[in-house]
Amino acid sequence: MTDPMKHERQSMDIDIVCVGFGPAVGGFLTTLSRAMVDANGQTLLESKTTPGLPLQVVCYERADDIGFGVSGVVTKGRSLRQTFPDLDLSQIPMAHRVEHEKVVYLMDPIGASRRSWLLRIADGCARLAHKILPFVPFIQEHAVELPYIPPFMSKEEGMVLSIGQFNQWVGSQLMGSGTVQIWPGMPVNRALTENGKVVGVRLVDQGTDKSGKPDAGYMPGMDIRAQLTVLGDGPVGPVGRELNDQFGMPDGNHQRDWAVGMKAVVELPEDTPLKPGTVLHTFGYPEPEIFGFLYVYPNRLASLGIFIPTWMDSPVRTSYRYLQYWMMHPYLWRYLKGGTLKSWGAKTLQESGKRGETILAGDGYARIGEGSGSTNVLTGSGVDEAWATGVQLAEGVIELAKAGKPFTKENLDGAYVRRRRASWVEKEGRIAKKSRDGFQTDFLAGLFGMGLTGMTGGLLNFPGTIKRPYERVPSYEQYYRGKISRDELNRIKKEARAANVAVHDALLDASGWPKVPYDGKLLVSHQDALLLGGKVQAAGGYADHVLFLNPRLCEQCETKLCISMCSAQAITHGENDGVPQFDREKCIHCGACFWNCVKPRDGDPEQSNIDFRAGSGGLHSAEN
Amino acid sequence: MEKILYLAHTQPDGTLPKIAFEVLSAALELTQKLSGATLSAGLIGGDVQTAANAIAGAGAAKILGVAGPDFASSRYASDAEALQVLIRQSGATLVIAPATSRFSRAMPGAAYRLNGRTDTHVSGFETDGGKLSIQRWYYRQRMMATMTRTTRPWILLMDSGVFQPWQGKTGTASVELVPVALTEKAKRTQVLGFQAPAVSQQTIRPDAELLFVAGAGWTKKQSDGQTHVKEAEQLILDFLAKTQASLGSSKSLVDQSTEGAAVLSCLSHLNQVGQTGSTPRHPKGLATCCHGEEPHVVGWRFINERRAVNLDPNCGWAQGKADVLYVADAFQVMKKVNELAGKECVVQAK
Amino acid sequence: MSSGFHIVVCGSLVPDPLQTLEPIAGPAGPALKNEMMLPSVLDPWAAHALYEAAHLAKTAAGSKVWLVSLGPKAKLQQLMMTIAQKAPFELVVVDGSASGFTDPFEAAAALASAIEKIPGLDRSRLLVFGGCASASRDASVTMQMIGEQLGIADQFLGVDELTVQPSGAFKVLERIEGGQYQASECAGAPAVLAWATGNLPEPPNNPQVGMANMRGIMPALQKAQPAKVGAEGVTFAKVELPQQKRETRIVKDVPVEEIAKEIITWIKG
Repeated sequence: MTDPMKHERQSMDIDIVCVGFGPAVGGFLTTLSRAMVDANGQTLLESKTTPGLPLQVVCYERADDIGFGVSGVVTKGRSLRQTFPDLDLSQIPMAHRVEHEKVVYLMDPIGASRRSWLLRIADGCARLAHKILPFVPFIQEHAVELPYIPPFMSKEEGMVLSIGQFNQWVGSQLMGSGTVQIWPGMPVNRALTENGKVVGVRLVDQGTDKSGKPDAGYMPGMDIRAQLTVLGDGPVGPVGRELNDQFGMPDGNHQRDWAVGMKAVVELPEDTPLKPGTVLHTFGYPEPEIFGFLYVYPNRLASLGIFIPTWMDSPVRTSYRYLQYWMMHPYLWRYLKGGTLKSWGAKTLQESGKRGETILAGDGYARIGEGSGSTNVLTGSGVDEAWATGVQLAEGVIELAKAGKPFTKENLDGAYVRRRRASWVEKEGRIAKKSRDGFQTDFLAGLFGMGLTGMTGGLLNFPGTIKRPYERVPSYEQYYRGKISRDELNRIKKEARAANVAVHDALLDASGWPKVPYDGKLLVSHQDALLLGGKVQAAGGYADHVLFLNPRLCEQCETKLCISMCSAQAITHGENDGVPQFDREKCIHCGACFWNCVKPRDGDPEQSNIDFRAGSGGLHSAEN
Repeated sequence: MEKILYLAHTQPDGTLPKIAFEVLSAALELTQKLSGATLSAGLIGGDVQTAANAIAGAGAAKILGVAGPDFASSRYASDAEALQVLIRQSGATLVIAPATSRFSRAMPGAAYRLNGRTDTHVSGFETDGGKLSIQRWYYRQRMMATMTRTTRPWILLMDSGVFQPWQGKTGTASVELVPVALTEKAKRTQVLGFQAPAVSQQTIRPDAELLFVAGAGWTKKQSDGQTHVKEAEQLILDFLAKTQASLGSSKSLVDQSTEGAAVLSCLSHLNQVGQTGSTPRHPKGLATCCHGEEPHVVGWRFINERRAVNLDPNCGWAQGKADVLYVADAFQVMKKVNELAGKECVVQAK
Repeated sequence: MSSGFHIVVCGSLVPDPLQTLEPIAGPAGPALKNEMMLPSVLDPWAAHALYEAAHLAKTAAGSKVWLVSLGPKAKLQQLMMTIAQKAPFELVVVDGSASGFTDPFEAAAALASAIEKIPGLDRSRLLVFGGCASASRDASVTMQMIGEQLGIADQFLGVDELTVQPSGAFKVLERIEGGQYQASECAGAPAVLAWATGNLPEPPNNPQVGMANMRGIMPALQKAQPAKVGAEGVTFAKVELPQQKRETRIVKDVPVEEIAKEIITWIKG
């Protein structure tokens, strides 16, 4: 064994290195591992780096375990069922067949949300209809249940899953097979490139100070040199985004639409009428642009939450408090009242879909999953697609390995990209590509556009110009014109800075949102939610992974949306209201900061002044 | 009918520690409540006569003793053998003894040799229907079980602070000394002595009236954007000097030393209170600059009155974990407290 | 001491201390709600023992470290993905319950039997390491019983420091009352050391160590011997979470002086 105290950078040669363990890499490794050895344990795919042994395949995951973080999902599960034809959902904790699905439009019972006049008229009509026709069950006082779910949205015959539990389940099968290795708690710093080829990855340095300089117990991150680097590091994965920088995006493609999904696992009250497999999709409240979901698992557990998208043109895109208002909506509160918050979390979603598709393969590397642009933004489906792209890559890799061919761009294009192009993921992704463009104009146009795309199979779309995220954010003055006076705004901003808290709470208070009545069980403070059923882990000795690049831009920034939007209150006001402070011990790695920064990066208008790099730790959560 | 044996060991000066008297109260109560039960006592030490005299009035049917230089200090091999011999000699079915470090180390070995069972961290018992059940904590004081066993001998190591010390008069006891033969194998370890850690003044002191707990906030950047570690340390030390309080800390604060961050030099892992630290017993506890998170607060299980100073009104302490939460800057509060306390000791040890 | 030590670390998994734990009545006695779903960590004190073992093995040439874990195989496998990057060891798996409600006597018997079966283990050079208590059962009993079954007469509890002399004799500092240490000297192995926190920080994740360990971990998991570990003769009447919620009075926007005065009065009172 070498002495880790020595500051020499170690290097290791393997065949395939995977970055990130999520559904895409899960699909990749599951398919690959089955082809590596036969039933008698005989090697079918031989390693090039260590001849005589099977392919050496290692996956590095940033989080401290492979199933951490809160994420609920409903999916048709087509590709999952193809990989596991005898899938028995009862073997996976918190999984169930979809039994009953509803799409619900939520009206504003408080009168604080920002609704256009057109929407107000629509709400008025619905309320009137409820008064006149009280016996029509789907029109209720504050909500309208859609009597019909368009087929493109329906997930019936699918399944509800906890991604955390699902990943655990997949991971333990993979580990049990003994063919591939998955290492949690090991962030990948960057890709190693030589002459335009990716030749592996470098792991993050350990034993550094916050700025990354060597400190006590310094151990430089190891270089993992591999024949093939598989990038499945998701929408905020720093290695994938770095390759976008380095190799560019395909012509016309960009990743400008994002959303943060803030989710909770709730134990429903004992007398809940909701049956396992119930799926509710909501839209319209607390702000029209905020979509919500509630999936019911076995044992009275439900996964629920909201999505705050880039096209909610607000300088205070605060998720946590909106999540509470959403839960308290009368339509949902009748189910949730008396429930207990078990855990909580947040994650960024890449909402550009097919338009955000990256280069899928190059010399020595391939990209799969959400970060590669596989998500279908029309059907709101990502896990199934991500898994499918992993399977497609594995099939390609098996083909190449059997033929003894190297992992060049040409070979990967032929073996992997060709499969992906011919698949349903591609076909449906193309249909969905422009489906949400209407949201660039406004909420109703967005809804109309989705319907149009969905019902015409993508032939017709509602047009829209996709702005960069920071181009969408108005100033406080613009946003609150007519609601909060300039003087009061200034007072609120000043007080928030003095108390070093985000400005959003005071702004919501001032714009008509009532105080949230904490009950200590389901409605708890943001800080408590961070501690419930889990906690942020941030082992010492790693560099900060959120960086404010040009301090001058931060000093000039009035909005500081990064502070309001931070899901974990990890970003706070800096000295003299300059560069904000980042507290790694609170960060849950949701990645909302880098796309909520309102200042474009010097020299790169597609990116912001916040860099989100590879970091260790994140949220530990039991019931996720 | 149970035959109860009360066991204790001497301190270097030949006297019994306070916990031994607490557990004697427990043994007497148990004997009284279990009908037909008899009580005898067993003592271990270099010389056990002083200790035997101290408990002479308790009414044990007999007092057995193992004494001699080999038993003067705490060593596993000799202690386990002595305990085994005493329990066997007494014919005890129930053994009740203080959870000192010495007995905690050796008693399980004695139990093994007797094919008996040991329960530790016992914090209470019930004798409903003449049957003994005990209470003990599981999962680091996070849940309390009430349980009973059929296997005998059943050995209970009692936690301190549960029973009032027995306060009978010293008498003159006759000790029945039991010979214990030690093999050479049992003498391979020599006790060299005691060492106070470098932080001798500031440890968790079981006898203090007040537990002062410092959290990670003391070493973090304050409102002026700077850290004030030296000042923090001075404030804390001043306070301890004036109040004779016991010093505890949160895990995150002592962990910082391994993470290369600024640390309070008066703290080590020995001060840690909470899930992976200690669960001290004090009548009062004052938490400063820590957030009152569950894994930390489990270490406060036995602190009766709890107050906290923290800047965050929504911190864990506010959620029913403290009696009073002062939303304020601990630097300022402790400075003022120290000023007001003057030069006098505010509190005497209990 | 040219040949080094054979260090066997006993350590298993416990629920991640940050999780909410809730007792339930299971078919075989008390259990934790969602026990198989709770994320696990290596028992914190046992983890310190493992790091100390790895450190000692590095300084005493010719030493070797085993980690003997009693727990459900599937959960241990997950745990190993994290632990295996920390320190080099050979894994021995005893497939059984890691519940805190099992009896230490039975756990010790299962662990000691597994240690007795380790091929090539030199009992004259044996140091059995473990935590001073588990975070589950929290009894401080198991290690001594393992030592008894293995016939080891020299045992230490709450160890923070071990200093090996060239002769193979070693000095030990054990935590005792009043924040003090008892210093002892032992003639040499075999011995049992149940560690408190020791003095070493958690080692960083080292992928090379992980790769080396992994070669042995999967076979060890496959070879795992099932062990029946329960609590014979024990009846649990109940297991409860203590009700500890207080009515917190929040004092806000009050001058520091008043707060200080109130605190002084309270301390004196």
